[in-house]
Amino acid sequence: MLGKGGKRKFDEHEDGLEGKVVSPTDGPSKVSYTLQRQTIFNISLMKLYNHRPLTEPSLQKTVLINNMLRRIQEELKQEGSLRPMFVGASQPADPLSDNFREAQPAFSHLASPPLLPADFVSTMPLESCLTPASLLEDDTFCTSPAVQHDGPTKPPPPALQAVKDSFSSALDEIEELCPAPTSAEAVAAETAAHDSKAQPSESNIHKPEGLPESRTAESKLMDPLPGNFEITASTGFLTDLTLDDILFADIDTSMYDFDPCTSATGAASKMAPVSADELLKTLAPYSSQPVTPNQPFKMDLTELDHIMEVLVGS
Amino acid sequence: GAGGGNDIQWCFSQVKGAVDDDVAEADIISTVEFNHSGELLATGDKGGRVVIFQQEQENKTQSHSRGEYNVYSTFQSHEPEFDYLKSLEIEEKINKIRWLPQKNAAQFLLSTNDKTIKLWKISERDKRPEGYNLKEEDGRYRDPTTVTTLRVPVFRPMDLMVEASPRRIFANAHTYHINSISINSDYETYLSADDLRINLWHLEITDRSFNIVDIKPANMEELTEVITAAEFHPNSCSTFVYSSSKGTIRLCDMRASALCDRHSKLFEEPEDPSNRSFFSEIISSISDVKFSHSGRYMMTRDYLSVKIWDLNMENRPVETYQVHEYLRSKLCSLYENDCIFDKFECCWNGSDRQVEFFSLIVMTGSYNNFFRMFDRNSKRDVTLEASRENNKPRTVLKPRKVCASGKRKKDEISVDSLDFNKKILHTAWHPKENIIAVATTNNLYIFQDKMN
Repeated sequence: MLGKGGKRKFDEHEDGLEGKVVSPTDGPSKVSYTLQRQTIFNISLMKLYNHRPLTEPSLQKTVLINNMLRRIQEELKQEGSLRPMFVGASQPADPLSDNFREAQPAFSHLASPPLLPADFVSTMPLESCLTPASLLEDDTFCTSPAVQHDGPTKPPPPALQAVKDSFSSALDEIEELCPAPTSAEAVAAETAAHDSKAQPSESNIHKPEGLPESRTAESKLMDPLPGNFEITASTGFLTDLTLDDILFADIDTSMYDFDPCTSATGAASKMAPVSADELLKTLAPYSSQPVTPNQPFKMDLTELDHIMEVLVGS
Repeated sequence: GAGGGNDIQWCFSQVKGAVDDDVAEADIISTVEFNHSGELLATGDKGGRVVIFQQEQENKTQSHSRGEYNVYSTFQSHEPEFDYLKSLEIEEKINKIRWLPQKNAAQFLLSTNDKTIKLWKISERDKRPEGYNLKEEDGRYRDPTTVTTLRVPVFRPMDLMVEASPRRIFANAHTYHINSISINSDYETYLSADDLRINLWHLEITDRSFNIVDIKPANMEELTEVITAAEFHPNSCSTFVYSSSKGTIRLCDMRASALCDRHSKLFEEPEDPSNRSFFSEIISSISDVKFSHSGRYMMTRDYLSVKIWDLNMENRPVETYQVHEYLRSKLCSLYENDCIFDKFECCWNGSDRQVEFFSLIVMTGSYNNFFRMFDRNSKRDVTLEASRENNKPRTVLKPRKVCASGKRKKDEISVDSLDFNKKILHTAWHPKENIIAVATTNNLYIFQDKMN
């Protein structure tokens, strides 16, 4: 726990990590910004998938963690696309606020699109009567109409596409941590298992949009359960991967070493900044042939044991 | 130490709860609330129990202290349930308690867990009828042949018994977790808010509630913001506010439309670019919102600060008080250990006899069993600690100080020594007197101002 002796070392070094937010354009501090971002990304993933609570996880917490992950993905995407024009682009246009909010028009425009089942809307206009809360319990309206509604009622702005891509690119980033053949096998097994539940996505190998679509299909089937927290269950970043695939695949320890500043010298040589190009390259699991493992990361079994201990013990 | 003549000097009065450090999960206090007169103080815990304390009538001989609070009633409000559809438990933890104003001899309160709200009647029984014709005192039926005369049963005194009975159960109206309940100033209706929806109930009607706010998107993948708290205006029965995880507060008028998805006012402070970090959104999430007594102001609590808003000004708060700014450089660790998601509440002082209806002092909790008070007039603030070490009655609490960096002075505590497991999330201020109730993890502390 914070404040006890064991953590003191982390705190001291952590001041350098999070004392000030460093601009991503600074030379040497760009590495620490990237490290910080990567650490937070990993922590966020662990939070979403690490524990199996007996009770429903807090939706607020889940939403905030999801937002964090999406924001980081957006930044990575923009950094990746800005790479050729690195000098001119300077700071990407405020990934933390405007772009991010634009991508989510749904919240502020809920007044216009009808939220109730179609039959209810046809009998009386929404504005003129109170809605019994009991009708809201039947959440089936958010199943199949959900995908089509995106078209007619809310033409998604380009940023929305970026958000959908963020899911696939986040998935890809996870893929990058795992050697492609292993995860391809695992995913093939998962996809086969999910065949009866979701439409197989092999037709969407090269389209990032295909991934969220199959995920939405899966979420369709889970939606009839009222109040199902689709975010954690189906819209998360790891629909077709289980945590085991990550844990038991080859991963570089430096990613999980929460002391990045002391290991900076060692880690810097092993880690490459994650770019969108690399992410797209590793759409591997959905292709039939194994991609040459892009494996800058190797790990001993002893280190794997150590990580397992830390994760299980925490 | 004590500042000007108006500063309150707080003294330890009582502490309730187990002494040992090993905290039973069920004993974790999850809500604290005084009733409208301040005579009763209710707590709810993670085990679904409600404990009500009653203040002793002021003892004329002991004029230097106010009455003590003693246990008045304890009952099991909510039980754990199992949602078979989702294979998940529904926690029995009491999220909120709200008292109704007293109308007759009995007391009524609303208590809620994640899914179900219950109206409890707490009544006293200090007499019982004796002298039935057909029954013995123990309830057995008398042999009819032995009944030779008729008599009228009479009430005889008995030991005081306090009974709590559930009078209404408001269930099955919330898909998501209820975070707030608020009774309307009409005293007939109340609202309940979960992560995505707010429902309006009539206290007499349990089988129907009306949805007044719904922020659930058609596609749950687009969800980025949830409702975190909601409250009715203290005077205007058609006005309420709700706060969000993005640091916004929306004021809605129920007369405008049946579904209040369009707010009348939107309160939001623009982000300070010099303070931006990965955690900006999370720490902006509002954990509590409370109207001032007059209804002219409202107060919000986010992770690091308390903000006072004038209802007539939407673009920024009129005052901001830093609760524990020294945590700003620790946000990554606090994110990792989940402390950044702690939901601190805040409360106003009671209506002081001298300055009726003025909300002048703000109280809120922090870590290491510290709690903070901010005086809006003098702009002074103080940090106090709820600990058994200061448990001599009428001993004035010593102000505490956290050393953010640099050399630590004597009696200061460094940030790294703070115990983040000891958090004060719930505090309450007596509606009329300077008596405060402060809940640590499993203990309830009562402090009073020093009366001279």
